[in-house]
Amino acid sequence: MAEPLLKVENLTMAFGGLVAVREFSFAVQPGTIHALIGPNGAGKSTTFNAISRLYQPAAGRILYAGEDITRLPSNAIAGRGIARSFQNLELFNELTVLENILIGAHVHCGGSLKDRLAAFPDSEMARIAEIMERTDLKAYRDTKARNLDFGHQKLLELARALAIRPRLLLLDEPAAGLRNREISALDELLTDLCRRDGLTILLVEHVMQLVMSISHTVTVLNFGTKIAEGVPAAVRADPAVIEAYLGKETALHG
Amino acid sequence: MRYIYLLVAVAALMVLPMLTTGYVVYLANLLLTFTVLCLGLHLVIGECGQFSLAHAAFYGIGIYVSGLLSTHVGWPFPLSMLAAGLVAAAVGVLIGLAALRMRDIYLALATFAFGEAMQWVFLNWRSVTGGPNGLRIAPANLFGWEIITDKQAYPVVLISAVVMIALTVLIARARIGRSFRAVRESEIAAQAMGIDVKQTKLAAFGLSAFFAGVAGSMFALYSTYIHPDSLGFSTTILVLTMVVVGGLGSIGGAVGGAIVFGLISELLRQAPQYQEIFYGLILVLFMMYAPKGLFAFLGDLWGRLRHG
Repeated sequence: MAEPLLKVENLTMAFGGLVAVREFSFAVQPGTIHALIGPNGAGKSTTFNAISRLYQPAAGRILYAGEDITRLPSNAIAGRGIARSFQNLELFNELTVLENILIGAHVHCGGSLKDRLAAFPDSEMARIAEIMERTDLKAYRDTKARNLDFGHQKLLELARALAIRPRLLLLDEPAAGLRNREISALDELLTDLCRRDGLTILLVEHVMQLVMSISHTVTVLNFGTKIAEGVPAAVRADPAVIEAYLGKETALHG
Repeated sequence: MRYIYLLVAVAALMVLPMLTTGYVVYLANLLLTFTVLCLGLHLVIGECGQFSLAHAAFYGIGIYVSGLLSTHVGWPFPLSMLAAGLVAAAVGVLIGLAALRMRDIYLALATFAFGEAMQWVFLNWRSVTGGPNGLRIAPANLFGWEIITDKQAYPVVLISAVVMIALTVLIARARIGRSFRAVRESEIAAQAMGIDVKQTKLAAFGLSAFFAGVAGSMFALYSTYIHPDSLGFSTTILVLTMVVVGGLGSIGGAVGGAIVFGLISELLRQAPQYQEIFYGLILVLFMMYAPKGLFAFLGDLWGRLRHG
């Protein structure tokens, strides 16, 4: 097996007296889609925020491409090729779609003085046009983010993250609140990003239809600890997982 | 094509002093100075979303640095203007460092306190500023030319204002301008995009103060006398009103606000006791009924009238 792109070792996260994640370890293989699932409050988003450096772990290490990133500030990870989207949308609301995506390309516009001064840096525009095409945002180029419908706002989160040119894409509930048709489109897009562009994707998601369809590996968290891990079919059949999701009764009689 | 209109406008403004009286030229100088002040406040509040209520203090620093350099050292004006901008910017960055720990109303209060403290310094550092008696400043020299009258100062003031407008446009369009707006819209997302939020805020405070310092040296160019009375909170509020009324977040709004409101404030000079009440009232009314500013409001109104 190849060296994992992301490795989380014995991660423990505590808020005051509450331990949200306890000694959690998992690894994401390069070029795969890895899903992190679990009931509400299981510690998925907390883990996510620790990886994207918004939260500081109480203990444990986070390794990315062999580098220990546990103590990096959150603005230092984009330059290393880690991009994220936000569960509750953190768009630049008063700015246009194009400008949101341009800000995503921030770390690539700092080269020459010409690039720094350009409103539309030549080196990035072709790529940004391609991203808008693939995320169905081309027609909304000059629309303010806050005026987009919810589905396109979710897509803009993704587009902005793609402008970072990530190797590792962290997606926090990309399908939440989407309609069925939008979920299938997202399914195709994420699969394509992984297969064609070689991206590694770690996603937290509740929409099982998406998780089971696109993931290579699924890790299940419950009450801050890992209860199962494996290919989707195996995880779905795991009694511990069924119990965590549905409760003991149903597991026995179901 | 737009550049041609701009050139025509600047050329027309250039010949203004030949056509009118000294008072109109004085007023033009003042409005251009307010324009640069507004651009500075626009950068920190409009673009970066950080409240700063110390703009008059940076303006004052610019006036004194420039005036003192002209009087005591005899530097050519462009040099003393640059020095005025840089000293103000340095103080601005220091205030920015303090501001990193605060936001919203706390930031407003802290910068307000700094502004008041600076006015106290201007009033009491008698050996340098002349204290409440004010300070008479020698005419600036522009490589041998002495600038004494408003008409002589006008071309320099106009060119300075045009350069500062161009600089604002350049900054707003560039990568740093995008970082300012990203920080204004969402600090968390800005960080995730690799933007150093602290550095960005410091840059905004520094640039904003630089503009105020340059505006100060513009004022010093056509003035013969500096008095700290006009460097307090009322001036900060006046500039803030100009920026908000013009339209927060737009460069055109900041320039338009400076001109419209500069004229209003000049009219109100006859009744100084009502000035601040009037500014306060306008500020509140605009925040309530036309938060996007006068020009956006007029544009909407025009659109509604045309389309019923």
